[in-house]
Amino acid sequence: MKEKIGVYICHCGGNISDYVDVEKVRDVVEKEEGVVLSKTTMFACADSAQKEIVNDIKENNLDAIVVASCSPKLHLSTFRNVAERAGLNPYNYVQANIREQCSWAHTDKPKEATEKAIRIVRACVGRVRYSEALEPFTIPAANIALIIGAGVAGMRSAISLADMGTHVYLIEKSHFIGGRVAQMGELFSTDEKGEEIISDLYDEIKKRDKIQLFTGAEVVSVSGSVGDYKAQINIRPRYIVPDCDMNKLKEAIAECKTEIPDEFNFGLTQKKVIYKAYENCRPEIPAIEKDRFNPDQKFLEKYKDCIDLEQKTETLNVNTGTVILSTGFDPYEPEDGEYGYKKAENVITLQQLKRLIELSNGKLEYNNREIKNIVYVYCVGSRQKEGENKYCSRYCCTAAIHAALLCRKKFDSVRGFHLYRDIRTYGKHELLFDEVSRQGDIFFRFNEDESPVVETANGKLQVKFRDILTNNEEVAIEPDLVVLVTGMIPRKDSSTVAGILKTPVGSDKFFNEVHPKLRPVETVIDGMYICGTCQGPKNITESITSSLSAAAKSNSLINKGEIELEPTIIRIDPEACEWCDKCAEICPFDSITKTEYSPDGQKGKTIALVNESTCKGCGMCAPVCPTDAIDIIGYTNNEIESMIDGLIKEV
Amino acid sequence: MEQEKDFVPKILVFSTDKISDPGIDLAGQQHIHYSPSVYFIIVPCSAGVKPRWILRAFNKGFDGVFVAADGTDCPFSADCSEKTGKLVAYSQELMKKEGVNPARLKMAAVCSVCALPFSNHMKNFSKALSGLGNIQSEKYIDPEEKEKQK
Amino acid sequence: MMNNNMNSPEQISTNKLEYDVLVIGGGIAGQEASLNLANNGFKVLMVEKDLSIGGKMIHLSKVFPTLDCSACIATPKISETARNPNITIMTYSEVEDIKRNGNGLKAMVIEKPRYVKADLCTGCPICEEKCPVVVEDEYNYGLTGRKAAFIPFDLASPRIAAIDIENCTLCGACERACPPNAIDFSMEKKEFELSVKSVIIATGFELFPAEKKKEYGFGQFKNVIHSMQMDRLLAPTRPFNNVLRPSDGRMPDNIAYVLCTGSRDLSVGNPICSQICCMYSIKQAQLLLGALPMTDVTIYYIDIRAFGKGFDEFYEQGKSMGVEFIKGKIAKIEEKENGNLTLKYEDFENGGKTVEADHDLVVLSVGILPNKDVSGFFKSEPIALDIHQYVKQEDELMSPAKTSIEGVFVAGTSSGPMDIPDSILSAGAASAEAAAFIRSLK
Repeated sequence: MKEKIGVYICHCGGNISDYVDVEKVRDVVEKEEGVVLSKTTMFACADSAQKEIVNDIKENNLDAIVVASCSPKLHLSTFRNVAERAGLNPYNYVQANIREQCSWAHTDKPKEATEKAIRIVRACVGRVRYSEALEPFTIPAANIALIIGAGVAGMRSAISLADMGTHVYLIEKSHFIGGRVAQMGELFSTDEKGEEIISDLYDEIKKRDKIQLFTGAEVVSVSGSVGDYKAQINIRPRYIVPDCDMNKLKEAIAECKTEIPDEFNFGLTQKKVIYKAYENCRPEIPAIEKDRFNPDQKFLEKYKDCIDLEQKTETLNVNTGTVILSTGFDPYEPEDGEYGYKKAENVITLQQLKRLIELSNGKLEYNNREIKNIVYVYCVGSRQKEGENKYCSRYCCTAAIHAALLCRKKFDSVRGFHLYRDIRTYGKHELLFDEVSRQGDIFFRFNEDESPVVETANGKLQVKFRDILTNNEEVAIEPDLVVLVTGMIPRKDSSTVAGILKTPVGSDKFFNEVHPKLRPVETVIDGMYICGTCQGPKNITESITSSLSAAAKSNSLINKGEIELEPTIIRIDPEACEWCDKCAEICPFDSITKTEYSPDGQKGKTIALVNESTCKGCGMCAPVCPTDAIDIIGYTNNEIESMIDGLIKEV
Repeated sequence: MEQEKDFVPKILVFSTDKISDPGIDLAGQQHIHYSPSVYFIIVPCSAGVKPRWILRAFNKGFDGVFVAADGTDCPFSADCSEKTGKLVAYSQELMKKEGVNPARLKMAAVCSVCALPFSNHMKNFSKALSGLGNIQSEKYIDPEEKEKQK
Repeated sequence: MMNNNMNSPEQISTNKLEYDVLVIGGGIAGQEASLNLANNGFKVLMVEKDLSIGGKMIHLSKVFPTLDCSACIATPKISETARNPNITIMTYSEVEDIKRNGNGLKAMVIEKPRYVKADLCTGCPICEEKCPVVVEDEYNYGLTGRKAAFIPFDLASPRIAAIDIENCTLCGACERACPPNAIDFSMEKKEFELSVKSVIIATGFELFPAEKKKEYGFGQFKNVIHSMQMDRLLAPTRPFNNVLRPSDGRMPDNIAYVLCTGSRDLSVGNPICSQICCMYSIKQAQLLLGALPMTDVTIYYIDIRAFGKGFDEFYEQGKSMGVEFIKGKIAKIEEKENGNLTLKYEDFENGGKTVEADHDLVVLSVGILPNKDVSGFFKSEPIALDIHQYVKQEDELMSPAKTSIEGVFVAGTSSGPMDIPDSILSAGAASAEAAAFIRSLK
C-alpha cells in the first residue's frame, strides 16, 4: 500500500480551472489517506512543472503520484517518464482525466464539475495506493523464421528476411520450387518470364547462407508459441542418389518408358516418371514418382549409382521464432460439362492456354487444329451465383487479356472474343484492356443469370450467348478454342496445413488475416503470418508486396532475439483457483492451460497456468472465474473497488 | 416509487482503454454536455468487467452502471460483444437476487469517435434511471450502511 | 495524441538532423512503414506537409468491405506512431533536394511556421473561439467554415492550433486570449539539414479535381458534390448531423453516383482506373440507405470492379439492399430550376441509346491522381516516374517498392492507385526493403 502520495492538479491554463475550482479540489484531496503532498500547477506538462515533480518525488521520497489533468491518451506516457526519471516505477503513476471527461464536458455546470473532479482525483488516489511496481518482461525469441511454400511469395519473403538478419527455413512440398508462377510463362504487365523469375530467385536464395531450402518437405506438426515454435518437417526422398552422374541419369530417363500426365502442363502433355518439373527447373536434380514407377531389376541394377528406391522419408525438427504461410493457390478446375469442359472438344482453362502458348512454336495448335479464333469465358469458378466461390479472383481479367495480347503478338492473327460480366483490369492494367480492344478483340457482356452455352454442334465447337451490350441479342460464335478464364481457389492441402497450424480460414476457405487494414498479414496466432495467394486471390506484385510485408512484421517481432511484453497481463491466485477451465475456454489467445500446484510438497491440485508470452491482458477470463481467482494486473479488485468507493463518496 | 425532486442519477461507466474511452474523450473535446454525475473507470476490454465490481457500485450508491463496450472494434476478440453481453446478463441475474432492478445495468457499443452517440446514451440512461429513482429506494442497501442505520 | 516530450519537432535544437530513415508523408502508408522500421530499431523521421498526420483515411466515414469506422481504425495507429520513441514527427514541414551523400542520402527539411508554439499549446479551442475570420474548411472539403486560428480537426495529431496566416487579419484576439501564451506571430520557417540512410516516399494521392470534368457541372450546380464530400457528410466526425443537399438543406431522396469521374477517361488525360471508386461508392450507397432509409441510390457505372477480398460479396450485398446499378456512361448533367439534376447517359444495356434520368443529388465518384510533389523532392537527381507520373516501380514484380534511386523506396498510392489494405501492405514491403538496404550498408 502506497503511503507517500503526491497529487498535482493542473489548471491547463484555464481549460480546467475556468470550470473546476482546482484549489478546492486540492483542499479536499490533501486530506485523503496517504497523500503527503498536493499542489496545483498551471501546466503540468510544461517542462518546469515536470522538473518540479521530479524534485518533489526525490525530496519527499514519494512512492506514488497522481496528476489530474487531461486524458491519459495524451500524457500518460509523459508522466510515466517523469516518474521514471525520479526513480519511481512508472506503474505507480495514475492519471486523473479532469479535462476531457470533466471540465470540457461540463462547461455549463462549474459547481458540479468541481465536485466531479474531486471525486475523480480521490478515486485515482485510492487506486494509486494499491498500485504495484511493474517491470516489462521479455521472453527469448529465436531470430528464425519457418516459411511454408517456396513459390514467389515464400522465396521473396525468405530473401527479404535473410537480408534483414533472420535465419530462414524455407520448405516446399513439391520437389521443385516456383509454385504457380513457374507455369505462367510471360507475365503481365512486364512480360518477364515466370521461369526466369524463379531461376533468379533461386540464385538469390543460394547466395544467402541464412536461408536453408528444403524441397519435398512438408510440415507435419507445430507446437510452442511465438518466439519458440517447434516444427516437425518430413522430407520425402527424390530417389535420386545425391551427386550422381547426371549424364548417366539422363540415359536412365531416356530409357525409362513409363509416362504419366504432366501436371506442370495441366495434363496437356505426358512426362516420364523420372522427371523434372520443366527443363530449367530448380533444383535441377530430377525426382521420381515412385508410386507410378515399376522398373525391372535389370534397370535398377544398371542405374543403381543414380537411382535408389530405398531412400526413406527423413524427419527434420526445427526451432523457429515465427512461421510464415505462403502455400499459394490452385487454379479452379471446372466441373465436367461446365461450359463444355471435358465434354466439348477444344475447351481448356486459362492456365492451360498459358502452357499451350509456352509449348507452341510459331503456330498456336490444339488437338492438331490451328487456333485462329478464341472465345474467352470469364468468371469461371468465381463470382458464382450457385456455387461456393462467391469471390472475385482478381487476377484473371488482366491475365486473360494479357494472354489474348500474347496470342496476337506471338501467333499471327489470333482473334479473341471475350464474354465477360465486368472487366476488372483495375489500376494501370486498364492500358492492357485498351490495347487489346484497339487491336481488334471483341467484348460481349453476358448476364450472370444467363451463362453462355458451350457445346459441340454438328461436329463444330459453338458458343451461344446473349449480349447485353447489343439489346440482349443472341449471338453464336464458332471458335477454334474456348478458354475458360478460371480463377483461384485455396490449395487442396491448405485445410491440412490449417489443421496443423490452427490458423483460421474465412468463408472463402482462404487463410484469414486478423484485420484487413490493421493487421493484414497477421493471423490470430502470435508470430504466425500469411502472405501471397493462400490468403486470397492476388496478382504477382500484390503477392510479393504481402510477402515482404510479412517479412517486415516477422523481423520486427524477433530480430532483437527477445520479445518485450507489457506487464499488464492476468494473474492467477493459486489458492483460490479450483481449475474448471472456464478461463481457458473464453481466452481468445489460448493463453491458459492447466498445471499442478503443490506449494509445500503436499499433494497438489490442478490450477490454471497463464502463458505470459501470449496473454494480452484483456481480462476476458476474469469475470467468468467462479472463485474470483483472476486479477488483471493494473486493474485488480483493490484498484477498481477503491476507485468505485472514491467516486461515490460524498464530497 | 417515490421520486425525489432534482434527483440526478449517479452513473458509473466502464469504458475501454483503446475504444470507448477515446470516444468519450472526444465528446469532451467537442464540449458535448452530459450529466456531471457520470463517472468513468477505464478497463482494457469491456468483456473483462467483473460482476462483483458492478454489484459493488450499486452497493456503494451508484444508481446505474453503463458498460461502454468495444463492440466490433475490440482489439482482442471478434466476439467481444457476445462475451460482454453474457457478463452483463449474468450480473443482472445477481442484481435481481440482491433486489436491484436489472434495468439499472446497461451496455452499448461506443466506438472511438462515438462522441454524440455516447452523450445520447447518457441522456437516455439518465432518464430511465430517474424513472427508477434513487438506488437507496430499492431493497438492496450496503450491509455496512444498514448496520450504521440501526 | 502526441507525446511532446519524446518526439515533437521543438525538441530538435540543432539544424543538423541524422536519422536512419526519412519517411515522407504521415498518412496510413507512412505510419505503417514508420512503425515497422521503428519496431525494428531504426530511427525514423516522419515529415508531413500538413498540420496533422493522418492523411486521407482519418477523414473517411466507414471503410469497405468491413464497414469499420475509418477514424476508429486510424486513430489508434496515429497515436501509436506519435508515441513511438523511435519516430520523430515533423508536421507542417516539407522536404527538398534529396541527394546522394556517400553511402546515404542528404535532404533539406523546411518547417513552416504555424505561429503557435507546439510545446505550449494545449489544444484548447480558445483561440478558435476568439478568431473573427471564417474561411472554407479544407478538412471538410469546403462543406463548412473554419477560423483562421484553428485546430485542424478534432482527431488531429498533434492536436495543436495553427494560424492560417494568409487569411489572418493580425487582430491579435487569439494572442490575447491564449492561456499559455502559445501564439507567436514572429515565428519563421526553420531549415534543417538531414542525413539519412534510406527514404520512403509515402506522399499519397491527389483527388481528381471534379471541376475539370466540365460536363458534370461541379462547382456550378450546387447539388453536384464529389465523393470525398459525401464521405465527410457520412463520417462520425461529420459537419452536420445528416446528409443534406447543399442547395436547400433538404434531405435528398434520389441520389446518383457517377463512377469513373476523372478515371478511364482520356478526355481528362487519365486513361487508367482509380481502383477505389467502385468500392467506396458502393460503401457510401449502403451507408446512405442506412442513414436515409427512404432514399433511392443509383450507381452509373462502366464495369463494377469489386476485385479484392470480400469486395464482390460487398457488391452483392449492395444490390440486395436495393442499390440500383445502371451500366451507362454519363455524357452530361444539367440543372433544373428546383436544383434537381438531369443526367444524360448512354444506356449500354439497351442498345446504347441516350436516356435521361432525374436525381436530386449527384455524387461524382472522383478518381485519384498522382501527387505532384514527389519530383520536387529530387531536384539534383531526378526520380523516375511512370507515364502516368506516379513513382516508377523499377522492379514491379519482384521488388515493387524499389525506385530508380538506390535506397529510396515507395509506399502506398505514390506508385499508383491502391485501396487501404493494399497501401498498408505496400508500406510493409517498403519498410522491409529499407531495413534490408540499411543492413547492407554496414
